[in-house]
Amino acid sequence: MITGIGPVTPIGIGVDAFWENLCAGRSGVRPITAFDASEMKVQIAADVPDFEPERFMDAKSARRMARFAQMAVAAAQLARADAGLDLATVDLERVASVVNTGGGGVTTIAEETRALARRGAGRVGALFVPMMAANMASCQVSMELGLQGPAITGTAACASSIYSFIEAKQIIQYGEADLAFVGGTESNISELGIAGLANMHALSRRNDDPEGASRPFDGERDGFVFGEGAIVCVVESLDAARARGARIYAEVLGGGRTADAHHLTAPRPDGSGAARALRGALHDGGLAPEDVDYICAHGTGTPLNDAAETRAIHAAFGAHAGRLAVSSTKSMTGHLMGSAGALSVAAAALAIHRGLVPPTINLQTPDPECDLDYVPNESRAMPVRAALVNGFGFGGQNGVVALGRVDS
Amino acid sequence: MSILEQRVVTIVAEQLRVPSDKVTAESHLLDDLNADSLDVVDLTIALEEEFSSAEQAIEISEEAAAEMRTVQDLITFLEEHGAA
Repeated sequence: MITGIGPVTPIGIGVDAFWENLCAGRSGVRPITAFDASEMKVQIAADVPDFEPERFMDAKSARRMARFAQMAVAAAQLARADAGLDLATVDLERVASVVNTGGGGVTTIAEETRALARRGAGRVGALFVPMMAANMASCQVSMELGLQGPAITGTAACASSIYSFIEAKQIIQYGEADLAFVGGTESNISELGIAGLANMHALSRRNDDPEGASRPFDGERDGFVFGEGAIVCVVESLDAARARGARIYAEVLGGGRTADAHHLTAPRPDGSGAARALRGALHDGGLAPEDVDYICAHGTGTPLNDAAETRAIHAAFGAHAGRLAVSSTKSMTGHLMGSAGALSVAAAALAIHRGLVPPTINLQTPDPECDLDYVPNESRAMPVRAALVNGFGFGGQNGVVALGRVDS
Repeated sequence: MSILEQRVVTIVAEQLRVPSDKVTAESHLLDDLNADSLDVVDLTIALEEEFSSAEQAIEISEEAAAEMRTVQDLITFLEEHGAA
């Protein structure tokens, strides 16, 4: 059961700001200010300009973390508060931390490599390794909140934090923990991060129109917008949630994971690997295609992804595909890579709980290869009995989580 | 307080995220300023960075770093090794 949501995103920190801006169709894409991007091919990103780590941890702790870990801790604290969870009342040895990431501390590696090259080996920081290590996503959450069950950070590129929720469900079902802090984090809007993604032609180059740059499923889409942020949710067993009278946003019904075994960056053009993950999530979640009302799409805005994802949804849902609402939060938030899946899970859980589906903005020019109902430009009030959440990563890692409504 | 002392205090405060008015020459790095051994090594690297110049490199060896107990120890080391 998802009982708490903690978003640190380009369109808002905390559930209220995040949800309001998501449903109002506000874009978080802006000109890059983290460094001088004037000579870069891509000069826009979706950053979190108002993130103040010291609101969520003491200054000393903040200094010993890279930004991706700071954001994970902030998201976990927000989720704890949103869940109304008093950690003094739970057995902390039965609480897991499952926070995945795509790139971990790539930006810290870049900074320290510069120190090594310019000033020699003696000037590489003593905190370099424990700051850049990807596992600090879950371990810093564990340390700051005192969680002593399993602490796990895995990586599956852009599907990373879809995998978090599947992992956490299994940990709780297996009996290793009763409650888990689950999500993803990513913060690598740096020269190295932007240059690498830009040179592989993954990113939109609409530098003169930041808010219009991320246009999933639109005929004029030209790549995704790199984003940063962390989203962590509180997930607990039904018994644990009921015992403390918690509000339940949605139930994690199941998940599907597959690999394309195809290409470094491109999905299988027929979407068959993604379709198998969709069918796997339906099966694991005990759902028939007709039970699903909404898909929170991977929807990156790259020419290849959106067409392949559309084919995958057709393949898995048959005639019901046309009756689904399918939207991409990335049209507003950009692509948060390792935390993108968790952002989508949060959006879908809120959609189920509140009966409101966020839109896909910037959808203006039809693409014959993208022929589903993408909830264009305006959010839609509708009951959502069950939702699937997609995340597909470079390397062909596909993940889908199934969420269901819990009637109180 | 000498200019060197002031610069050391500023860096210690910045590195350990403590208010600079809480840092004195007598402050014990571990007991008073809540540093751990990783912080002390990182602090000595920052001091090398601050006090090295084109004319003179300041090197605080790992052995020397392990002996640093107070802010005064850092100041004394830098003075004895010609930091300006």
